[in-house]
Amino acid sequence: MEPGAVTRFGPRLAFVIFVGLTLHLSLFATARIGEVRPDVLLLIAVAGGIVGGAERGAVIGFVSGMAVDLFVHTPLGLSALAFSLVAFAVGTVQSSVIRAAWWIPPATAWVASAAGILLYALLGALIGRPEFLEPRVLGVAAGVATANALLAPPLVRIMAWALPRDPDRSYA
Amino acid sequence: MSRRSARPRFTLLLLALTAVTLLTLDERSGGVGVVGAMRDGARDAFAPVQDAAGAVFRPVGDFVQGAVHYGDVEEENARLRQQLAERDAVLLEAENAARERQALLDQQDLEFAGDIPAVAARVVVGPASSFDVTVQIDRGRNAGVAPGMPVVAGAGLVGRVVDVSRSRATILLITDPKSSVGVRLAGSGDVGVAAGRGSRSTLRLDYVDPASKVDRGEAAVTSGLQQSAFPPGVPVGTVVAARSGPGALQQDVTVEPAVDLRRLTFVKVLQWSPAP
Repeated sequence: MEPGAVTRFGPRLAFVIFVGLTLHLSLFATARIGEVRPDVLLLIAVAGGIVGGAERGAVIGFVSGMAVDLFVHTPLGLSALAFSLVAFAVGTVQSSVIRAAWWIPPATAWVASAAGILLYALLGALIGRPEFLEPRVLGVAAGVATANALLAPPLVRIMAWALPRDPDRSYA
Repeated sequence: MSRRSARPRFTLLLLALTAVTLLTLDERSGGVGVVGAMRDGARDAFAPVQDAAGAVFRPVGDFVQGAVHYGDVEEENARLRQQLAERDAVLLEAENAARERQALLDQQDLEFAGDIPAVAARVVVGPASSFDVTVQIDRGRNAGVAPGMPVVAGAGLVGRVVDVSRSRATILLITDPKSSVGVRLAGSGDVGVAAGRGSRSTLRLDYVDPASKVDRGEAAVTSGLQQSAFPPGVPVGTVVAARSGPGALQQDVTVEPAVDLRRLTFVKVLQWSPAP
């Protein structure tokens, strides 16, 4: 990361996470159809992995996961762990992409969001919340993934504004 | 392995260890202490933003849910729903009244929810995650809300307070798998424990005698047995299915909550605590 990048881009990233959390706790907490609702903080983590790469994605995933963890009654740190792992995986996989096609961000968001929800449920079950792994988790994963895929293109652009570009990244 | 490729993994390892540490702290402290203070602080600090954002986006959310409840119309609808729910509660209470009269000696010290001091509150945040079966209300410690207090809406029991900050409180809904409510069936008088299933739709009623006759539509109210977390006589729901297999130790009973937990707008926190 170039010198001064943190002071230049840190506030932008904090702003994106702040706005994302606000939307998550207001608009998207009520604007849900059944289980279908976007998980904006998870999408921010995924977009962080797409734009910033594995390391920065993991950090963004951790911060966005912690942000939502503070407002739910599920174990503190569970979202942070799941989101950082997913963002790291996205950043690692995306490094092999040579040229970005328009459909790659939404497709990546769909797969990564579904994986994030399933990973969250699995980790939750491992630490004593077996009900997270009930069959409905598949519907939740599909619903969140679809909603996140629709929001991915604009959010990846926003994340590209918020983050210093990684020279190794292929797009964004 | 080069230093460049190793650094991201090292960072991930540090983050994972931090998250695991927080998970352990949260589990061991039971949500109080440092972890509780972090959550309380975050909720209080974010409360004004939530209030403003909620005011802006609530109409959009209602529209998406298929109910066009803008501004005053939304408020009026909420009041009408509450009135209707209160009439439902009267019916459930009437069904329970005969049973209560017969068990007068046991219930001489019953308190009805209406006589208990209550704090009215508005639900400001629904479940913030697909795995979270809680809601947040706009009243907290400053209004006299405390952990463990029962929460009701017009038609009956909603849940209990689990976290309180100065201006916010988190309500664990009765459909959360961690929630269990001691109930009494109005018809048979059987007692059982209504446990959440996590999907915010129905409750599983445990420990009902397989020999008892449980009818569909039968009301279930809080039992208020000794050291119960809820006052007696608060409607919990109605039986929607009951069956007993051969050799079963208990009946398989499903209860639909009296309150529509997906459309909570206003609730009342009962300032009640179990007798020591």
